[in-house]
Amino acid sequence: MKKLMNRPQDFVDEMLDGLVEANPSLTRDGESGRVIRRTTPAAPKVGVVSGGGSGHLPLFTGYVGQGLLDTCSIGNVFEGPTVGSCIEAMKLADQGRGVLRLYGNYGGDRMNFDMAGEMLEDDGIRSTTVLGTDDIASAGPEERQKRRGVAGIIYAYKAAGAAAEAGADLDAVTAIAQRTVDLTRTIGVAMSPCQVPGADRPSFVLGEDEIEMGMGIHGEPGIWRDKLRPADEIADEMVERLLADRPEGSGTRASVLVNSLGATSLEELFILYRRVSKKLGEAGITIVQPLVGHFATSMEMAGVSVSLCFADPEIEALLASPSSCPFWKVQP
Amino acid sequence: MSITPAGLSSAVVTVNGAMGEMEQALNAADARLGDGDTGTMLARLFAGLAKTDLSQTADVGAAFSALARAAAVSTGSSLGTLVATALMTLGRETKGRVAVDADEFATLLAAALDAMMSRGKASLGDKTVLDSIDAIVRRVSEEPTLPAAADAAMSALETFRSRPNRVGRARMFGDATIGVDDPGMLAVAKIAEALAKDQTADD
Repeated sequence: MKKLMNRPQDFVDEMLDGLVEANPSLTRDGESGRVIRRTTPAAPKVGVVSGGGSGHLPLFTGYVGQGLLDTCSIGNVFEGPTVGSCIEAMKLADQGRGVLRLYGNYGGDRMNFDMAGEMLEDDGIRSTTVLGTDDIASAGPEERQKRRGVAGIIYAYKAAGAAAEAGADLDAVTAIAQRTVDLTRTIGVAMSPCQVPGADRPSFVLGEDEIEMGMGIHGEPGIWRDKLRPADEIADEMVERLLADRPEGSGTRASVLVNSLGATSLEELFILYRRVSKKLGEAGITIVQPLVGHFATSMEMAGVSVSLCFADPEIEALLASPSSCPFWKVQP
Repeated sequence: MSITPAGLSSAVVTVNGAMGEMEQALNAADARLGDGDTGTMLARLFAGLAKTDLSQTADVGAAFSALARAAAVSTGSSLGTLVATALMTLGRETKGRVAVDADEFATLLAAALDAMMSRGKASLGDKTVLDSIDAIVRRVSEEPTLPAAADAAMSALETFRSRPNRVGRARMFGDATIGVDDPGMLAVAKIAEALAKDQTADD
């Protein structure tokens, strides 16, 4: 698989160099430069921190900005951030009002952030954790807390970030993030694999004419694998599965995110969105704030995810409040 | 035999020295189940441990804690974090001691194992480093020596080879993991072997 890069071992650091040079609102920080923070820190407020492996841009570092994340610790491609960089990210985000750690439900990330949190307790930094668990393909509804976090986590970034910016305390920001996760569902399909820089083969194998429903963003197994079908059939099944897993107490309004996993074109995303929006309309759901584009990728994997955030009025207002980061702006 | 800061320092230097040989074998084992970097990651981790200066401390607990911090900044991989967790626990358990006797090995390792299980959420039998440490704990509670530990780690590796991985990224490969060594378990066996050999050479 061809990639524009220099040495594979420089892939992440050179990517971060370019990211901050192209976006002066972001700064590399921390001993190893693996923390991205806002160049101009926010006025005193609760800190919102995320982190994870590289290879998913705009996740995670791309969402550092006003009304969103304060800092983000980043690891090597598909490898969790070090405990050291988690500690640095939390320290840089802390303004004495505590820190929310908001990241995907992956073993390495969880271990490192948990450990960082324990180490910082001794320094008197208070922190809470909310895990993104939106991927309905990764576990059944009865084991919802075991689900992995994928693209839908950006709704929690936005809502928690807006609440923190508005001056909410740590408990309130944590509760908003958790409720947003609870009201968000995602499912993805994959059509071609990705390859880690320097690896001599793709991360998984999928036939040229095959599609897999529910595959994870590192190639984790999904629900079924079969011959590629027309976009409308795929969209219908994704919407059906999402609505079948509708959160308890959800209303009739939802934000829809149609996200490219990397290689899938905007054209294809809009073909899918057209059908998704029709199906949701038929199901009596009013779409608020549609999002179509690259929001959480898996290197050059071809594929799409669809997320629904069944925002209640409070969360809908937070999603609509102004914010700005390099990859997502909400205008006042 | 007992554990002292000087002894710890020399042990990590020994393992770091043995890493050159181990690195490719561990990468190859991991390439069958993951992204093939377990050896490179552990080499980076032990290089960090070997660089840690323990000469100014007489406290075994402080020495373990210093090693835990060095491990924690060297990698973000799950296995690396489990190593850091184990070292952090050993540091807490031995705080304020100038030496720890061999007959305490089993108790200390059992505490480290508990911490690793609670951190990583894996269970015994999932075919991970936990199974290797568990085998070592049971063996050294009867025979607290490094050769016994190395022997137990090797037996665990052989026992689990024919079983499937039940947790983590390797779980994705299902039955294809049968007959394949878990890279973490292989690492424990090789590290224990290097330490046992080094001790025999000293004798």
